[in-house]
Amino acid sequence: MNFKTFAAFVGPSIFMMLLFIAFPLISVFSQSFYLTQPIYEIIEVETCTPGFITQTCVTEEQSIPKLDEHGDIIKVTKFVGLQSYRNVLELERAWDAITSGSWRAFQSIDFWKALRFTLTFTLITLPLNIGLGLAIALVINNASKAVRGPVIFISLLPFIITPVIGALSINWLFRGDGVLTAAMEWYTGRDIAMFAQAWTIELLMMVYRVWHVAPFAAIVLYAGLQTVNQDSLESALIDGATRWQRLRYVVIPHLMPLIVFISMIHLMDAYRVFEEIVGFSSQGHVISLQWLTYDFLVPDQAGNRSISRASASAMLTMIGIIVLLIAPLRRTWRDHKGGH
Amino acid sequence: MSSRALRQPLSLKLTSATFLTIWCVIAAFPIFWIAVMSFKTPVDAFDANALNVIFGPATLAKGNGLSVLAILLGLAVLWGTFKVASKTMPNMVRSYSKPGLQWLGWLVGCAAVAIGFLLVFFAILPMVLSVLNPVLGPLGQDVLGLTTEHYKTVWIDRGFSNNFQNSLLVTAGVVSVSLTVGTLAGYGLARSGSNLAFWILIIALVFRALPHSVLVAGYLPVFISSAEWLSPILGDNAPTLYGKPWAVIAVLVAINQPFTIWMLRSFFQNIPADLDEAARVDGCSHFQAFRRVIMPVMWPGVITTGLFSFLLGYNDFLVTSLLLDAQNQTMVPAIAGMFNRETTTTDQVVAVAAAVSITAPLFLLVMVFQRQIVSGLTAGAVKG
Amino acid sequence: MKFKTLILASAVSMLTTTAWAECAFDNNTSVKSLSAGFEAWKAVTDAMGECGNFSASLDQEFREKQPEAFAANPSLYQIGGVANATMIPLLNAGTIRPLDDLVAKFGQDLTPNQLIKVNGEIMAIAMMVNAQHLMYRQDILDDLGLAVPTTYAEVLEAAEKIQAAGVVDYPLGGTFKTGWNLGEEFVNMYLGEGGTFVGEGNMPTINNAAGVKSLETLKAMTAYMDPEYLVSDSTYVQQQFQQGKIAIANLWASRAAAMDDAAESQVVGKVKMASAPIGSAAPATSLWWDGIVFAANMTDQEAEAAFKVAMEGLDSEMVAANNDAAVWLVPGYKAGPLAQGAAASAENGALPYPASGPMGIMHTVLGNGLADYLTGAKDATTTLADIEAAYVTAAKEAGLVQ
Repeated sequence: MNFKTFAAFVGPSIFMMLLFIAFPLISVFSQSFYLTQPIYEIIEVETCTPGFITQTCVTEEQSIPKLDEHGDIIKVTKFVGLQSYRNVLELERAWDAITSGSWRAFQSIDFWKALRFTLTFTLITLPLNIGLGLAIALVINNASKAVRGPVIFISLLPFIITPVIGALSINWLFRGDGVLTAAMEWYTGRDIAMFAQAWTIELLMMVYRVWHVAPFAAIVLYAGLQTVNQDSLESALIDGATRWQRLRYVVIPHLMPLIVFISMIHLMDAYRVFEEIVGFSSQGHVISLQWLTYDFLVPDQAGNRSISRASASAMLTMIGIIVLLIAPLRRTWRDHKGGH
Repeated sequence: MSSRALRQPLSLKLTSATFLTIWCVIAAFPIFWIAVMSFKTPVDAFDANALNVIFGPATLAKGNGLSVLAILLGLAVLWGTFKVASKTMPNMVRSYSKPGLQWLGWLVGCAAVAIGFLLVFFAILPMVLSVLNPVLGPLGQDVLGLTTEHYKTVWIDRGFSNNFQNSLLVTAGVVSVSLTVGTLAGYGLARSGSNLAFWILIIALVFRALPHSVLVAGYLPVFISSAEWLSPILGDNAPTLYGKPWAVIAVLVAINQPFTIWMLRSFFQNIPADLDEAARVDGCSHFQAFRRVIMPVMWPGVITTGLFSFLLGYNDFLVTSLLLDAQNQTMVPAIAGMFNRETTTTDQVVAVAAAVSITAPLFLLVMVFQRQIVSGLTAGAVKG
Repeated sequence: MKFKTLILASAVSMLTTTAWAECAFDNNTSVKSLSAGFEAWKAVTDAMGECGNFSASLDQEFREKQPEAFAANPSLYQIGGVANATMIPLLNAGTIRPLDDLVAKFGQDLTPNQLIKVNGEIMAIAMMVNAQHLMYRQDILDDLGLAVPTTYAEVLEAAEKIQAAGVVDYPLGGTFKTGWNLGEEFVNMYLGEGGTFVGEGNMPTINNAAGVKSLETLKAMTAYMDPEYLVSDSTYVQQQFQQGKIAIANLWASRAAAMDDAAESQVVGKVKMASAPIGSAAPATSLWWDGIVFAANMTDQEAEAAFKVAMEGLDSEMVAANNDAAVWLVPGYKAGPLAQGAAASAENGALPYPASGPMGIMHTVLGNGLADYLTGAKDATTTLADIEAAYVTAAKEAGLVQ
């Protein structure tokens, strides 16, 4: 296929990605090195606000941004180098905490706290996701033909359900005296509060994530199981391989490309963990990197937002994902080289 | 291969069956539970005692209930719908629709099943029951508290049908554009062995890894002021992109492109290249080869990929909540809004009912397409 | 698309036909509004809708959209719903218009209390006030022979006795959800102790005795609260009240009506309202107002239409129909027993929320930083010092601190 045809085929897709992803990405990248601020002047202002019955008026000095002749806020942009990255990473504080050997102090710094949780979350849910997915796939494959359809249908439910709704439903089941918490209390005879401490919330978030994504792994692996080479299974059988050995040496190697694919998708999605933080309102206990970025980005009630730190934090998140993806990507590169 | 050698010991079979049962319960329970909650009065729905939630004494006390007979008949209708949707309908579509027009067949089929179900469940069933219940004595007595008032509130008073239409519009747009653009790109990438193709894929992957909140927050000011900065190019007709469904469709398609081209590329790689090379030897251009040879065999992969696009468009919250205004809001932000505004407990149950309503079309979708999903994946829509 | 427009058109025409009877005039100019989505806004925008040609966006993302949408020329919305804090960005950017001329022309029904003035110019019209105040279970206090607590020391004392009696799951409730809610709790306490948040050059001034005292009171309360307090928002606390799980809470006035809602409450008639507990300087609460502003970037004709529509939304008919949905400032409001708490707090000298640009940042960093103290990860002074440091970083980035 010559370049021109290739470009014609790929063009529309590339164009959309450039316009809506690459272009914003470049602006995020540049914003992380610049600071854009209004120029404030201190002015005495009299404000009258309603009380319950009568008004109260106060006169005080306020910082008011200067406006230009069109009535727009005058903004100045200056290059600040890595300042925003320093503000996000808070390296001095982190270093102090490390040298004094205080894990707790280290974990009270937002970025490192978020990184710790994001990494734990990603790396713990990864094997669970693949393990559970594989188990479900094997068991479905093992089930009789008659029940496979309904079982696949039920298995897919957690995957298709709208994430916002899924997180909320877990919330109702466990929050306060939600039915599942009540059931656990009844079973253990103890008072249980799932949202009262960090580790139970983390556990719930991981369980929810695995519940939500394992069906995808399961269905992909189940599809993979349909194409296992029956001849190699048979020859393994003749060689006297046990059931476990057949799984270990024939089935899993066959599924390996799929497992790499699932892992890659999972690493990317889990590293961006965000819905769980908001859905379980866990900010008081644990936060994630994307939540941190989001928190910098949303304006507070007076309209201030930390765009520069948000950009820096987004770039750092991206670097993290790329580091995590290097291993699976090298495999893809080898396949690509081997394939042609 | 001899089946005897592969026969499994009883213990393994039992473990396997138990595991499957437990998994199915875990998978279905939360959805089942919110469905139960949505039919109860607020007092019952948030009761700590699970039995109270299921049987709904407070709901029953208000005179809303179901008899044993009604439950049995209702389940029968649900089972029937499942059967029709997963077996009869797909078969009929396959045998009756013309090749090439299959999508139309599916559309008609899905709509027919949905309408049929609504008709039987909400119109015919209550009529039959109102006749039978008084006749049957104890079987006809209300035992289970159940009320559909929250659904009425959602769909009639809150105008949720408007959100539903918006969701359909956005989702349909995302699926069709995403697949059109994606199939072309996927095919191009699969048939080009160049390093450029590889790097496009890798960069697409990095794009997929981007935190969406950063991208989306960047769109908002640009979309809102678009009438101003577009006016030098488009004159007075320059549109405000904010609040336009097609602008949201474009954003969602772009965000979804990386995944779509990855899936479709691996799928096309599994279609032997000889096939279209033969066509090219016969004098077809690449596009003609694509249209005549590849398009007829690509549907399993496209349906599977399309399902993922559908889920993305249908379930999206971040993009739609920020870039659409109330007049053309889709269902997910509408529901989130119901929860986040200063709500009463009644509002919350109403929102639960809305949450169940939004899940129902997904149910139908998976029922109909689950075979296609599996066969699409098997044919290699996903391959490392 | 055709089908959709058809439906929309018919819906709109239905709206307008029903509207004729109730609205004083027939609105021909298209008017749009963007506001938060709570009950009071629904009531007000529904009343505005009676005039026709009006569409309301009750949007939970309004805080993010409003400054951008009002900065567009012409503005995407003519009417904006704001509170004391969310008016700041619009005011700063000069995207809302002074209303003196319109008030003089069409605002004869407004009370002077409703007119928000900045440097003498009317910039917004307030429609309701809101504040957190004490709600308590009268029956429980009576059974245990307790007086209605007036300070937090008394609240804690009562909580101890209620706990000992074991009549409810948790004696106290609190809107301690990390983020805005928790920040607001501290703001209330600290105002009650007479503290100020920012001083000279917008530098933070919370790391002091009053700050520590506020933190200690908050922490002392958590001992009597549901252990999941860091995820409890107003709706959740309200629900706990309705289910009879808590006995005392400092809750928003706008939530009072829910206590007596027979459809969902199991404690109808048992919950009474009182002033927010008094700190060493003032009641531990802050007064908020909600109201409407009008975009600067619109024609005079649009402004006139928008203002007339808005007046229709803020008339006494609307209040009569939704009397208990809020503590209205609109003439015709009858302050019933549910408004007692807000009235008593105001009488005791409750302060307005000190809304300003720097305060927006302060509120956010407080909301994010306080959890560490309540969970025991940091002590009080470290917590306050860290919050001040976070404030300075953010304020420097915003340009408020040099």
